Amino acid sequence: MSRIGVFVCHCGENIARTVDVEAVCAAARQLPGVAHAEDYPFMCSSPGQKRMQEAIRDRNLTGVVVAACSPHMHETTFRGAAAEGGLNPFLCEMANIREQCSWVHSDPEEATLKAGEIVSQMVAKVRFDAELDAIKVPVTRRALVIGGGIAGIRASLDIAKAGYQVTLVEREPSLGGNMARLSETFPTLDCSQCILTPLMVEVSHHPNIEMLTYAEIEEVSGYVGNFNVRIRRKPRFVLEDCTGCDDCTQACPVVTPNEFDMGLSWRKAVYIPFPQAVPAIYTLDAAACVNANLEAANGRYRVLACERCALACAPRVIDYDMNPELIEREVGVIVIATGYELWNAAQAPEYGYGRYPDVVNGLEFERLLSASGPTLGELRRPSDRKVPKSVVFIQCVGSRDPEHGVAYCSRTCCMYTAKHALLYKHKVPDGEAYVFYIDIRAAGKGYEEFISRVMAEDKVLYLRGRVGRVVQDGDGLVVYGADTLSSQPVRIRADMVVLATAMVPAAGEELGRTLRASTDEYGFFQEVHPKLRPVETMTAGVLLAGAAQGPKDIPDTVAQASAAASKALEILASPIYSREPTVATVNTAACSGCLDCARVCPYGAIESREIPARAGTPPRVVAHVNEAMCEGCGICTSTCRSRAIDVAGFDDEQLFAQISAVARLREPAKVGAGGGSDQG
Amino acid sequence: MTKVELRGTVEAGARWKPRVVAFTCNWCSYSGADMAGTARIGYAPNVRLVRMLCSGRLDPIFILKAFEEGADGVLVSGCHPGDCHYVQGNLYTRRRLEVFANLMEFVGIDPRRLSFAWVSASEGVKWSRVVDQVVSQVAEAGPVGSWAVLHAPSTLAPQPRQPAQPPRQPPSEEEVRQTTLNLRELARRLLENGEVSRIIGYAHSAGGMSAAPAFIDTPEDAERLAWSANSPGNLTAYLSGPNRARRPGKTAVVVKTCDARSLGGLLRENQLPRDEVVAIGVSCSGQWSGGRLAAKCYACESDISPLADWSVGAGGIADGPHPGTARAVAPDPRDAEIAALASLPAGERLAFWTGEFDRCIRCYACRSACPMCYCETCIADKTQPQWIPAASSGPGNFAWNITRAMHLAGRCADCDECARACPSNIRLDLVNHSISRSIERSFGSRVEADPAAVAPLTTYRPGDPDRFL
Repeated sequence: MSRIGVFVCHCGENIARTVDVEAVCAAARQLPGVAHAEDYPFMCSSPGQKRMQEAIRDRNLTGVVVAACSPHMHETTFRGAAAEGGLNPFLCEMANIREQCSWVHSDPEEATLKAGEIVSQMVAKVRFDAELDAIKVPVTRRALVIGGGIAGIRASLDIAKAGYQVTLVEREPSLGGNMARLSETFPTLDCSQCILTPLMVEVSHHPNIEMLTYAEIEEVSGYVGNFNVRIRRKPRFVLEDCTGCDDCTQACPVVTPNEFDMGLSWRKAVYIPFPQAVPAIYTLDAAACVNANLEAANGRYRVLACERCALACAPRVIDYDMNPELIEREVGVIVIATGYELWNAAQAPEYGYGRYPDVVNGLEFERLLSASGPTLGELRRPSDRKVPKSVVFIQCVGSRDPEHGVAYCSRTCCMYTAKHALLYKHKVPDGEAYVFYIDIRAAGKGYEEFISRVMAEDKVLYLRGRVGRVVQDGDGLVVYGADTLSSQPVRIRADMVVLATAMVPAAGEELGRTLRASTDEYGFFQEVHPKLRPVETMTAGVLLAGAAQGPKDIPDTVAQASAAASKALEILASPIYSREPTVATVNTAACSGCLDCARVCPYGAIESREIPARAGTPPRVVAHVNEAMCEGCGICTSTCRSRAIDVAGFDDEQLFAQISAVARLREPAKVGAGGGSDQG
Repeated sequence: MTKVELRGTVEAGARWKPRVVAFTCNWCSYSGADMAGTARIGYAPNVRLVRMLCSGRLDPIFILKAFEEGADGVLVSGCHPGDCHYVQGNLYTRRRLEVFANLMEFVGIDPRRLSFAWVSASEGVKWSRVVDQVVSQVAEAGPVGSWAVLHAPSTLAPQPRQPAQPPRQPPSEEEVRQTTLNLRELARRLLENGEVSRIIGYAHSAGGMSAAPAFIDTPEDAERLAWSANSPGNLTAYLSGPNRARRPGKTAVVVKTCDARSLGGLLRENQLPRDEVVAIGVSCSGQWSGGRLAAKCYACESDISPLADWSVGAGGIADGPHPGTARAVAPDPRDAEIAALASLPAGERLAFWTGEFDRCIRCYACRSACPMCYCETCIADKTQPQWIPAASSGPGNFAWNITRAMHLAGRCADCDECARACPSNIRLDLVNHSISRSIERSFGSRVEADPAAVAPLTTYRPGDPDRFL
């Protein structure tokens, strides 16, 4: 037998001004199952909560309805109070008579009637409330970080320093990501490598970090606290004892474009991407090596056409028989830090990218500026190694261009273009720098000042307008554009053109599917909520850091990486992960095993399971909910024709009772029931 | 004709105020309603919210229940497409409600009573506007009790089943005889070499009755098998669910093209493993009874389903699906009947359909005949809670027939066996067929025999039709 307590809050005058709270109490006392009803000026105050707790104890209540504000406001408060009063928190319901009643209705009679009905609706629900206990799952106290750029490095270090194990997976031979390619960083003009490489070294030396480079995620199963990850490590063909002496590289006869320099220089087939690479182990690029053609189906070299690197290697660490390695790890949380790549500017043919060697993108220009780059920091253009005396920078190439590229702003281009122009002017003081822009977006700390400085002190000419086309003319380029401020067409002879191309995600849907993390229309990973849960995905335990979630500059990336690490630690810090028990469960006796529920589940939380059937018949297949993955949305429940699956907290009986309570007419029964009988 | 009422209450007109039940998701629309409160944006007091976590939790049966309990109108509100807290729950709901709204319209429910909206957590203004609009629409539609008026004896003449000119002739006696002999031959072979342990086929019935089901377990017994142009039963109903009559090992089943679609459905929904069933496709030129071709056969293009493991016809036995040559088809007569009903005013449609459902005696013959009604426990038999009133009276009959139709939406093989089984001759064929057509119109998909085809209500597309405010 239900003994329900109803507590009606005045909310000062907020409710009581329009709703006759005493009348609501009086009406509540008439409801079946209600054992106690009282009103109080501020139920959420400490004395208000105390009254509720006393009533729970003294009147031996089996359920509580707090008629006050929205459950989004104080459900947690009152459920906590009920729990302290000795009642299971899920036996406490809120009747929202403030936001959805007293605040929106002015007629006291209407509002009081409605408030009474909302109370009766929630009383009907609470009668079917069940005691629920938080779901507890054990946590494997290790994090997986995917991506070894600045985001992944920061997140890994933060987690490792808090005392938890980290497996860091990077698909390239070295950590560093795109940041390692940058020359200097805005707005402070720190040398990028100077701030990054110490962190890379720290990662490689940290006892809590297992670094797996040249490796990719192959499969992820499981759920928060208990992910099973399969990682495929590509064969380096060089053992870890490599001393980094470079003798193999010297001996190697093969040259191939150097990806780290964006193809602006050459490297050997056996190489180290850049001198500060971490780990400092050389890699034999099987695709470039002359032995590649001899590669057998099983991935092993059988016949060797060339052994020069192995012969040159004094410590004998080159191993042509190395195989891909499958590594399995159990982890509790996963941080996605897969970063960005640049939109292919050849998709906008008017700029001539890919056609004219002296039209380069931002990262290529970074390499040309970098002291470790192909020109060793001396700015020379790719076509003829001449020092460019005039450079045109074009912003928003692909960005903010839904027709040809992407609709969003890539956020970093205004700043790095200004930095590019500044560094150019420093390297070529007598050169001319022009910037075509749509707007200048310089919203970071010290950013606006930086732009002003570039414009004023470094005499970079900013032209507001778009470029129509870039054409080759002799050994130079001609840029045709418009200056919309003076409404004049502009024609500039340039030795080089630098395109600030859009940032696009480096890994998208496929990794998203593997991790069951949703991506947006561009392939960036989707956060749960931009303000409330900005580094979490819809899959519990899968977190986001850096440009994988959206275009970001380094300060924002680092901040977000630390945020993701703190969210990871929230889970790792406890051996048990507790979550809301409002999840779906299957009544196996009623389940026919059609698995339509599994087809519609957004979380992949439902799988088939065989259960023993009656003697002599084969086992039955039924649906099974993994409680740790279920978010309680109930899409499965409404899909299930036989209602063999139901979701706690919003189950069929609770909803049925509420529908009956609110749809029923309030008029005397005599008007209703007899309706059909007069017809015979 | 008895009176059917969804709620037999008529209040004095002047005092009546519309009562609207709003089903909202927790994250967007419930918060949007809160937002209206925080911003003190008033709206009509006639709406009562039922909060769920996601609009995807909404089963159309909730809407039926609300009407049945006396609500004059229902509003369903969720997150805007793309904003769902649960990724895509609202997109499944959008599909489901599109089908449901079309069905409600077909059976004559005033569309003003049923509204859908997308309201985000920040759209307090929109929430208030939507509620006011819905309440005034429902006020125009009047009290739900007045539906009872429509349940007075239908003014419609009983729908004469006007037989259109059939596109084909019945098969000759010789063709039927040869097909029967070939079926027996194949059955003997399959049983003799132990390939199957049971064959579910047809046997002769006396007196021009339609063929009876036959369960053949021995080669000798294969003589009982028969085929005639009056073998309408969908034998796949014996493969799963309460009628299940499979034996250990493989069971062979004789299927017509229409039956094969339900076999495909059963395979899709894991009701039996593909390697435990052998589909014997029988060459069918249409089902004839009393000189009339069954409506479902007019537009049927294929005499043997692509799902067949064996094809049997007058010409012989073949391995795999061997469809015959192209054959004459004509427009499906059910479409004409549906169009005729759709052209009536809503009130008359409702009168027609409540008149139909009125005759339901809740014998559940439709459920027994249907291969897709295989649930371990039917929702009609559930009592906690009892979504569908058990008595064969107005509200229960309406809820049962509409719920069953919705449960078959996107799954119904269009075999019309429910209508044939119905002792009260309720036009269940038209209900189901109208849903098939509405799914085809809305989502461009039909029920396929291919078990790998995705059922339309277990998926969605971003560009699905959207009737949400």
